[in-house]
Amino acid sequence: MNNIWGDMAQYDPVTWNWVIAVYLFMAGLSAGSVLIGIGMRWYSKDNKTESPILKAAAIVGPVAISLGLACLVFDLTKPFHFWLILINYNFQSVMAIGVLALLAYSPLGIAYGLIVLRDELPKWGLGFLSPVAEMLLGWRKAIEVLLFILAIGVGAYTGFLISAMNAYPMLNTAVLPALFLVSGLSAGAAANSVVALLMFKVDSHDNELSRMHALELPVMATEIMFLFMLFCALYFKGGAAALALASLTTGVWAGVFWIGVVGIGFGVPLVSMLMPAATRHTRGAMLMVACSGLTGVLALRHFILYAGQSYIY
Amino acid sequence: MNKRYVMVHDENKCIGCQACNVACRSENGTPEGVTRLQVRVEGPFGDAPNLHFKYHRVSCQQCEDAPCVKVCPTGAAYVGEDGIVTIKEDKCVGCMYCVAACPYKVRFVNPETKATDKCNFCKDTRLARGELPACVTVCPTDALTFGDANEPDSEVAKLLNTKPSYQDKTHLGTKPRVYRIPTKRGGIES
Repeated sequence: MNNIWGDMAQYDPVTWNWVIAVYLFMAGLSAGSVLIGIGMRWYSKDNKTESPILKAAAIVGPVAISLGLACLVFDLTKPFHFWLILINYNFQSVMAIGVLALLAYSPLGIAYGLIVLRDELPKWGLGFLSPVAEMLLGWRKAIEVLLFILAIGVGAYTGFLISAMNAYPMLNTAVLPALFLVSGLSAGAAANSVVALLMFKVDSHDNELSRMHALELPVMATEIMFLFMLFCALYFKGGAAALALASLTTGVWAGVFWIGVVGIGFGVPLVSMLMPAATRHTRGAMLMVACSGLTGVLALRHFILYAGQSYIY
Repeated sequence: MNKRYVMVHDENKCIGCQACNVACRSENGTPEGVTRLQVRVEGPFGDAPNLHFKYHRVSCQQCEDAPCVKVCPTGAAYVGEDGIVTIKEDKCVGCMYCVAACPYKVRFVNPETKATDKCNFCKDTRLARGELPACVTVCPTDALTFGDANEPDSEVAKLLNTKPSYQDKTHLGTKPRVYRIPTKRGGIES
């Protein structure tokens, strides 16, 4: 404190920190994983057996959202009063609507996971859950459709959450929910392939896995286009919005963007497509590409949250 | 007619003495390290010898369209019947959404209650007793005027009708109720 008006610490515009960035990542990852898992089941000819991708989504979906919600609750200043948010609703608030969506999404995700993994449960010593899974099986279609719709909502919600704040030019943009939904899809696909490869020992030439892989390029192209749209919107809006573009050239978040988001997140998967097919389809190569995709999405959430909050109108 | 409490800060009269800041702390028991109200001394602007400072009051702007109220998930941040934006401490979970959403960055987490906190024009204390907010009463140069702008004969209504004033960040559509009378460069004529 070296001025006469007092401490300035509370006026730092960066209010939400990395814990929230991890939550935004986890929620997007969970939603993307579920969307890909269910979506591919609908497009697959074989509906009798549970594909390794769907089984992976059945694990990634509930686990990621649970970890994300844990981050969210423990980031509250009154974590043990979190129940207040479950009984008081202000429907003008994006967060209140998100709480409702998550309140339905999380248990449905677990229920759907039990259905998909019903044959694995006894193998993991969770046989006591089998009757529950069998009971839920009759509701499969309804749960599946509802979970799919809610997953779109949850994926986009994390974008709406921060774009609702008109104090920050970079966050207050229409493209953010779409960007987060799409980058959630690429994270979900990556996580699904990691889990399918490691837990369900799927062959790296598996048909479903290759089909999911084929989604990656269009998803990534859409992501790049949305990012380009975001920066263009800021540039042409001018004033404080254009000043926020300095985050691409200065400071630590420029490094996170160019190295993390562009280099690791987009560069590594794109360059890997130039490798000979034999190398590209090995387990190791696929795991490496998936992990760099996940790192890129995590970096994107950090960049948007921190750089976005650093520039204020 | 509805009340429309506004505050006018005359930046010509302000000398940046922080008496308002101290009175606010004492009236509201604001804990160490956080602040509801501060007057930032910005500048000097201009070329010597015609330098001037700007006195910038930083406190809740009591927006008529308040972003903090819109984003609050539990309704802890609310607009009272008197139009004043306040916080129901026991409904606040401390998600910091309002702190982030406030374009004026005047909300903070009170380290004692763990709820968000900010200026509410001394609503529960002095205003409830029919007194003026602490900052207004204590100001040695009478730079602050407070009252109901919907009352045509009130001092604030007259002031806003006769002097040029501005508000901060009006382009965000928040309709702040803290008005500022800009400094006339070159000192006060007597």
